Amino acid sequence: MSQAIAIEDLTFTYRGRDLPAIQNIRAQVEEGSFLVMMGHEGAGKSTLCSALNGLVPKFLRGRYQGRILVKGREMSHHKVSEMASLIGMVFQDFEDQLFSTNVELEVAFGPENLRIARPEIERRIQSYLSFVGLEKLRRREPATLSGGQKQRLAIGSVLAMEPEILVMDEPTTDLDPRGREEVLSVAERLREKKRTLLIVDHDPEIAAKADRIWLMSGGRIAAEGPPGEILADVPTLNSCGVKVPPLAELFSAMGWPGRPIMVGEAIALIQKYNLARRRGSKPPELSPASPRGALIMQADGLGYIYPRHHSAALRRIDLGIREGEFLALLGQNGSGKTTLAKHFNGLLKPTHGQMLLRGRPTNQYRQHELARLVGYVFQNPDHQIFSNTVYEEVAFGLRMLGEDSKKIKRRVSEALAVVGLEGYEPRVPFALTKGERQRVAVASVLAIQPQVLVLDEPTTGLDVRHQGSMMEMLKGLHERGHTVIIITHSMEVAEKYAARTVVMKDGSILLDGPTRAVFAEEDRLDAASLRPSSLLRLSNWLGTEALTLGQMVQELKAQEDSWQNEK
Amino acid sequence: MNIFFYLDKRTWVHRLDPRTKIFGMLALFTLCLCFNHPLYMAAVSLGILGIAIAARALPNFWRLRFVLILLVAFSSLMWPFFTRGPTPMWTWGPIQVSRESLLYGLAMGLRLASFVATGLILLSTTRNEELTNGLIRMGVPYPVAFAFSTSLRLIPTFAGAGATIIEAQVSRGLDLESGSIFSRIGKFIPQAVPLFFFAIRHTNLLAMALESRGFSPESKRTLYYEPRLRALDYGVIGLLSIVLAAMLYVRLGMHLGAVLPGRL
Repeated sequence: MSQAIAIEDLTFTYRGRDLPAIQNIRAQVEEGSFLVMMGHEGAGKSTLCSALNGLVPKFLRGRYQGRILVKGREMSHHKVSEMASLIGMVFQDFEDQLFSTNVELEVAFGPENLRIARPEIERRIQSYLSFVGLEKLRRREPATLSGGQKQRLAIGSVLAMEPEILVMDEPTTDLDPRGREEVLSVAERLREKKRTLLIVDHDPEIAAKADRIWLMSGGRIAAEGPPGEILADVPTLNSCGVKVPPLAELFSAMGWPGRPIMVGEAIALIQKYNLARRRGSKPPELSPASPRGALIMQADGLGYIYPRHHSAALRRIDLGIREGEFLALLGQNGSGKTTLAKHFNGLLKPTHGQMLLRGRPTNQYRQHELARLVGYVFQNPDHQIFSNTVYEEVAFGLRMLGEDSKKIKRRVSEALAVVGLEGYEPRVPFALTKGERQRVAVASVLAIQPQVLVLDEPTTGLDVRHQGSMMEMLKGLHERGHTVIIITHSMEVAEKYAARTVVMKDGSILLDGPTRAVFAEEDRLDAASLRPSSLLRLSNWLGTEALTLGQMVQELKAQEDSWQNEK
Repeated sequence: MNIFFYLDKRTWVHRLDPRTKIFGMLALFTLCLCFNHPLYMAAVSLGILGIAIAARALPNFWRLRFVLILLVAFSSLMWPFFTRGPTPMWTWGPIQVSRESLLYGLAMGLRLASFVATGLILLSTTRNEELTNGLIRMGVPYPVAFAFSTSLRLIPTFAGAGATIIEAQVSRGLDLESGSIFSRIGKFIPQAVPLFFFAIRHTNLLAMALESRGFSPESKRTLYYEPRLRALDYGVIGLLSIVLAAMLYVRLGMHLGAVLPGRL
């Protein structure tokens, strides 16, 4: 098998930075193989991908040492556009890649650049649109497509140039579960056709299917090998800041043989070695959580239709939220979860029914009164950040509300302390990492000290380490008495942190109850195109009550002890 | 949030070659400059409206109704004060309003609205790609044509981002409902800065994606939507040329259609 890619001692430092983004990379990719790159944020994965097609150093300037050979050709001798028929790149942010006015033009764009004749372009459009499953949407406007469809369109339009090697940089990070599935099945089909495929991703379930994994850390390849080896090496995964496959971690903590990635493997191992007993599964009660705090928000027959739209985004929502709850709002894109959340702080007002805050409808409140009661943190901190210093950024809301400067100063430093950014007042927000900017955004909402915090996708786009610290911070806020509502795609985050989960589908509430009870309803979740994490699916199969790894280990060990006592 | 002007319909206007439509737009612009008498101008405007109806572009007109109404009203009210005519009605010092200048103002309002309407018809019936391809086939250098169509293409993207940014800032307590004109200008900054950075970041990523797909503005390319002139196009070009010539004769040869003959 010949080499598709050979990287020889590659080192690259971005212009204006001191430390190299990637160092002394020496690696090869065999033709027809499937490679997954994993690593923490800043490990150099995107830089390495960009080096493969020449964006580094032609577009992203800096000091470049070493060389990359793609099918025997040296990268640095060619322009990026010349390499397009050799290497195709799909980027994480599908919004930034699509710009044509309809689907077929988007796919035609690449071949047009390659000066391919029109009949051949026509053939390719038909062929690749059906490959990615979009053949019925040829004349649609890309803006009307779902996230998964957009990403598939991006892949199709890159495939239309028939590159020999395909590189995908975090193709599924911004997608909801169904979108992920769709993109992954395209990747599967590429695998079957023996195309050389490189994917950067965090999910061990994808990495498990690779031929080889490159584990990157601090700009170097820390480890590389087949998935069986790399994914079982829990200590190395941890030190590289990569998510450890939860089932492998479970087996490791229990001292059980094998390091399974998929639920099926785990079940097979448990049955084979008789590691645990399945309990007669009595699903936990799906009754609403026992009332504790006062009712702080209530949606009463709430309905909403976007202006100039025909179908309802929300239908007759009845939902009561009490003070001090930690709630996760789950659902596909388009299920209405963000629309509902925007009613909580009055960004949207109901077209039918009512949204009550402390008993009063939201349209009777002034906007700034709402800001004091309900804080809303948007998904992308860059949509909010505009000040020169972190201090001004965090003080912004308080200034708008007319507070005096002494109070502002105090609140700002308190808020920064809570998010773990003490002393960051004089720093420039734009110079911070994404995780830090996200915290600044949270701090700027916290400074107003609203009782309720609504966060839209607080963990999407963050690596495992930052996700952990963000969620622990939210947990701390919850313990101090705040009501926390998170909208998320991540089933694991909901499982680990939210006491109550609300699942939405097509503008209505499908499920509402304690998280463990909701996640036991796998069939109904499937109807909403959601699937519990592998750990929780195992927990369902075993009939245990556990939601997190720690709880699972405890419960299983207690089970084992009681077996011992039986003997 | 949809700010695409293009309406995907099937009308004869849609089917015209983009070059015909560009020529048509320029011809109509010239036609608008022909007359400054409101009655003649109204005839031109009505004709343009007729084309808009045939092109099924009226939904876009409805969306821009405030802009159009504002243009007509503003022009009609301002122009009378800045031109002089033979029949004065009121005079305050150097400022004079005459019967002719009132009519002129009305004609200017209609003219401005007609300009906008013509451009709107073009955008409603022509995809960005068709526009680019038409320009390329007319001899405009590739980089210029692409710059033009990409900026058109980015308007809806930036508008969408702008809307999200406004929501995000309002959630933080930015009060857009009250305040004097000066404080409102200051409130523009929390909206403008993030949008500015978004624009830079987005266009940067877009450029990377374009290059990665082989885009190179200097070299030749295939055009999937190849513009073709057909009988319909020649017919339209011919008809508009005749109308334009006739109207120019009416104004310049017969000296009709001007309430203030010395002015455009």
